[in-house]
Amino acid sequence: MTGQSASLASSPLGPSPQAPDRRHGVGLTSRGGVAAGRSLTAIGAVARVVRRGVLLLVTGAVGVAAEEPENPYTSGIDVRMGLRQFQSKCTSCHGVDGTGGEEADGPDLTTGRFQHASTEAGLYEVIRDGIEGTSMRGLRRAGDQEIWQLVTYLRTLSRDVDVASLPGSVEAGRAVFERLDCGRCHMVEGRGGRRGPDLSRVGGRRGPDELAEDLTEPNAEVAPRWWTVRVTRADGTVVEGLRMGEDTFNLRIMDDEERLRSFAKASLRSVEREQKSTMPAEPLSDAEHDDLVAYLASLRGSDS
Amino acid sequence: MRPIDWIGAALFLATAQTAPAQEAAADGMPLLSPVTWERLVNSDDEPHNWLMYHGALHGQRFSRLDQIDRGNVERLELKWAHQIRQLDRNQTTPLVVDGVMFITESPSNVTAVDAATGRAYWRYEHPLPDGIRLCCGRNNRGVAILGETLYMSTNDAHLVAIDARSGSLLWDAEVADHMKGYSKTAAPLVVGDTVVTGIAGGEFGIRGFIDGYDAATGERRWRTYTVPEPGEPGNETWAGDSWRTGGAPTWLTGVYDAELDLIYWGGGNPAPDWNGDLRLGDNLYSSSVLALDGKTGEIVWHFQFTPHDVWDWDAIQVPVLADVELNGELRKTMLWANRNAFYYLLDRESGQFLLGEPFALQTWAHGLDENGRPILRENVFPTTEGTTVAPIAGGATNWWSPAYSPRTGFLYVNTFDAEGIYYQRDDEYEEGSIFLGGGHRMPLAADHYQSAIRAIEATTGKVRWEFPITPRTRSGVLATAGGLVWSASVDGYFFALDEETGEPLWRISLGAAPHASPMSYAVGGQQRIVVAMGNVVFVFGLPEK
Repeated sequence: MTGQSASLASSPLGPSPQAPDRRHGVGLTSRGGVAAGRSLTAIGAVARVVRRGVLLLVTGAVGVAAEEPENPYTSGIDVRMGLRQFQSKCTSCHGVDGTGGEEADGPDLTTGRFQHASTEAGLYEVIRDGIEGTSMRGLRRAGDQEIWQLVTYLRTLSRDVDVASLPGSVEAGRAVFERLDCGRCHMVEGRGGRRGPDLSRVGGRRGPDELAEDLTEPNAEVAPRWWTVRVTRADGTVVEGLRMGEDTFNLRIMDDEERLRSFAKASLRSVEREQKSTMPAEPLSDAEHDDLVAYLASLRGSDS
Repeated sequence: MRPIDWIGAALFLATAQTAPAQEAAADGMPLLSPVTWERLVNSDDEPHNWLMYHGALHGQRFSRLDQIDRGNVERLELKWAHQIRQLDRNQTTPLVVDGVMFITESPSNVTAVDAATGRAYWRYEHPLPDGIRLCCGRNNRGVAILGETLYMSTNDAHLVAIDARSGSLLWDAEVADHMKGYSKTAAPLVVGDTVVTGIAGGEFGIRGFIDGYDAATGERRWRTYTVPEPGEPGNETWAGDSWRTGGAPTWLTGVYDAELDLIYWGGGNPAPDWNGDLRLGDNLYSSSVLALDGKTGEIVWHFQFTPHDVWDWDAIQVPVLADVELNGELRKTMLWANRNAFYYLLDRESGQFLLGEPFALQTWAHGLDENGRPILRENVFPTTEGTTVAPIAGGATNWWSPAYSPRTGFLYVNTFDAEGIYYQRDDEYEEGSIFLGGGHRMPLAADHYQSAIRAIEATTGKVRWEFPITPRTRSGVLATAGGLVWSASVDGYFFALDEETGEPLWRISLGAAPHASPMSYAVGGQQRIVVAMGNVVFVFGLPEK
């Protein structure tokens, strides 16, 4: 965590020599008025149109591209202050670790991708204004500094690992991945099977230590989506597959032939759950293991 | 005049639950099987599925399922509902493929559910960047399918391919730059192994186009602009450089005729919407229908409904293809109830105008000439003081699908009889900004006016019956072989009408406005009727013993 915040502080997003000026210049004069460039310009655009007397029928974003404001609060202290904000305002929906999940019902914030923002300024706006039509409310009473610190903290949640600093080699790891035919079950960038998690962005979701454990101890923590379910029907026939969904009355699986199947539980004689990974244990040398971890850590999606 | 039932014997397959190409589990439940191009061409042969946005390539939105009929519709009951997580206008028409339903959600997501129970298999959420410019909500209307891959438009003007079994992203193609005001909301159309798709953003002075993408890779195969550049035919219909920001977006799904190998697609209004002085000329191919070569996307013919449109009357309606008998001769025609209040019957091989009649209140044209060109009345252009003209900018109808029943020969259309005041203003194009050139409002509250579902006789353009709606509707229409016409109203009712008389036979108050078009499918031998209203997808069927 410290390493990550250190890297943030030395990144282009960190305070520059002009930082003190920028702290005023980024619109801190009016509370909530930052980020700013874009929404203010958008309002300006609307105002211009209205001055011309146009009756706007349309709604939605009418922004104009403008300089994105930079986050002036990116130090280690800002990370800790952001964490404090997060714990008091965000965890009830996004979970204590920011991974969201079914129980909390807020989206996972640790993947490095956000559904409604792609920049720090965008995150600022989402935190300030909320997302209309969802239960994400804006922190309208928070000051600019608090919101930027939250942005800074959120940035530390995604795995921003310098793959080059890892012991393994990405290229050699790719070769191991191919030799072991991992693509038989795992999809990467639209190629591969469906009987394991899509790994296209696994490097943003899981840190190198977690990836290493996923390889050596695949059964340590198997997500319910990847449990194996064995159903015995009233006629005694058995169908087995991966658990895509289960509720009080119904069960949905992907069977061995990657077919989608749905069963009414009441029609079944029995349902057995195997909370283990279906990933085969492959003997790997330490070097191969490190290479594979490096390769997986490098998978961040095609646009990264 | 006798309507031609161009699917003839297909009606009788209506109760067949499993087409030969498909697989079924031991318990008889269907299993998701690859949707080949042949299956899409012959989708009428598997009426238990709804394989594309319009139900079939011809765009009729007519289901050959007849289990629910005029005699039993009063027993209809709710089977299940799907709640959409993010609230916005819910414009989806779900697909159903072999017992799996694919529902698109705001802003650019899709969920696969079991069509029998409504319970989810998977969900794909498309991440969106900052600064998306949308005129009219974070909507998505549906997906297309080919093989085992779904194709979806996203609000940031991308086209994505998603694995139908797992929800994994297969490829992601940028169609246009969302920062310039381009966006995408409509379901794509599969033609052969090409994914054909349009673009939205007319309010931002974009230059419209229709694209074809390689279904396997996402590589673009062709692009046909709906606004020609200098040197191309039609550019002379744009004064000066006005073609550069000419609009004519293509924000609804087109249709395809496999025999003629022609794609038909509607083009939106020119930009800026209400100031025609900034773009003198007819402004081809705005407010027009284009017939494109199915392989190259080249324009084969065009027909412009509203030349030099200054009222925002997009030709963003579904081109409905039907073979009808005219003067004793079977003709391949296109049926089009336009936003400008005229119904058109065109020869779809040549684009020849066959007939046109108003189907809703209009005060802008004396009528249409022999080529289908409007004969304008005096003083109908927008002015700084405002000009009152019917229909309103929202149109006598809009993008909500009509339905054509080969049983009756009627085109069932959602209509609105109202007038609007149109204002012209100066405007300057600024990249990524709204570019309207004026404004529009209704002089009176909507309750002063009247909507209706109207049955237009395809071969004459005469309105044979109407079902009045107070005050209005924003729903498409579905016709089913049980003799029923389905639609919904803004006051929250979903209802079924008699196809021959318009008599209401069943209704339910669902408590929120529709922004979508109903569809029908069957699972386990049971017909279902689906409508998206409010932020919910509702599924109805008959009681099962």
